[in-house]
Amino acid sequence: MNYGYYPGCSLTGSAHKLDKGIRKVFEKQGHTLKEIPDWNCCGAFEYGDRKELTGFSKKNLEKASGLFSEIVAPCPACYKNLREADEQKEFTITHPLDLFDDAFIGSVKQARDLKGHVFTPYYGCILLRPRETAIQRNTVMEEVISRFGGDVAGEKVKDRCCGGNQIFINKSVTEKLSKLVLEKSKGTIVVFCPLCHMAMKTFSGERKVIYLTDLLLYIMGENKVL
Amino acid sequence: MKNIDQSRIFDLTDYKRQDFSVCLGCKICASVCTVNDLSESTNPQEILQKLFLGKNIPSDDHLVRYCTGCYRCTGACPWNIRIPEVIRALREELATRSPFEKAFKDSVSIWGRVYEPYVIIMAIPFLLKGGYIKHMTRWTEYMGIHLPHKVKRA
Ligand code: SF4
Ligand code: SF4
Repeated sequence: MNYGYYPGCSLTGSAHKLDKGIRKVFEKQGHTLKEIPDWNCCGAFEYGDRKELTGFSKKNLEKASGLFSEIVAPCPACYKNLREADEQKEFTITHPLDLFDDAFIGSVKQARDLKGHVFTPYYGCILLRPRETAIQRNTVMEEVISRFGGDVAGEKVKDRCCGGNQIFINKSVTEKLSKLVLEKSKGTIVVFCPLCHMAMKTFSGERKVIYLTDLLLYIMGENKVL
Repeated sequence: MKNIDQSRIFDLTDYKRQDFSVCLGCKICASVCTVNDLSESTNPQEILQKLFLGKNIPSDDHLVRYCTGCYRCTGACPWNIRIPEVIRALREELATRSPFEKAFKDSVSIWGRVYEPYVIIMAIPFLLKGGYIKHMTRWTEYMGIHLPHKVKRA
């Protein structure tokens, strides 16, 4: 498949690992990602004016128009903003987790397994809420972990808030909320959201925090995140 | 303290005053709100009620300060009311943004994108004062050098 790709600002900076991981996983599975030309920031959660916020993503969709009908956006905030801006449903805007279906997971060329490792799959908020834009495959991380022999823990915290949104406003909020998630979970934290990654990483101490894409690449024999 | 301009909140959110008349006062939103986990009292419904009745909301209101935009309230509300978007509009109206948020928006105005090195440099005094420097060792994997891209048609 050929997909239009919207990396968004964090994936060009602090979340470069997620960007590289997504590109590599898609390439290995035989899919092509092509960036929307000259895309602009989606506005994340920073704009109180709804029209202004959707305006950013509408511009991105204009730039994609005629080039792509299917768009992939890994960052939960970008994904939600794009979906909400596509009022006429002109595009199929998909989160990568929804593309990791049985066929996708089944075709992973396995080089390593996850035996003896414990993981907490952590989705956070925006992948699961609000319901209009929530992903469909809300147990995909658990499926990947169990299928390749890992142990799943921390089921109760998967949809709790890490407070990442407040990390550069009221850091104590993020600290308290992330620590609650960390206390009620075990093993390596597997995330998909750049903000969750940062919130968890900041307060996780010895615990590992990794992107699902890096876990997939580990299984494929690519990197050594564990 | 600044009094909020109610009509502006409705302009910003796309909600109309009467949209909040459906609120049942069931307070399910309050029972699931993430702010409870901070041991702070919280009642998102009260915000809607104040807007409906035309009452003022101060900038030190707990939700205005601490709402994380988690949408737990929206997910649980029988009417699916998007309370975090109302809070975000209140923050805009009350101009409560942090230096970091200001730098974020300035970067978007300059380049059409968030150029993180710029945001960090502009927010240095805030980061120093706020005790962020001690986290830098945890953040090395986020660092990397790249030049800003200027969006032509932003
Ligand atoms: S979005 Fe804000 S008001 Fe709603 S549950 Fe989360 S923290 Fe509470
Ligand atoms: S859950 Fe919805 S209907 Fe119930 S009090 Fe909260 S906003 Fe009102």
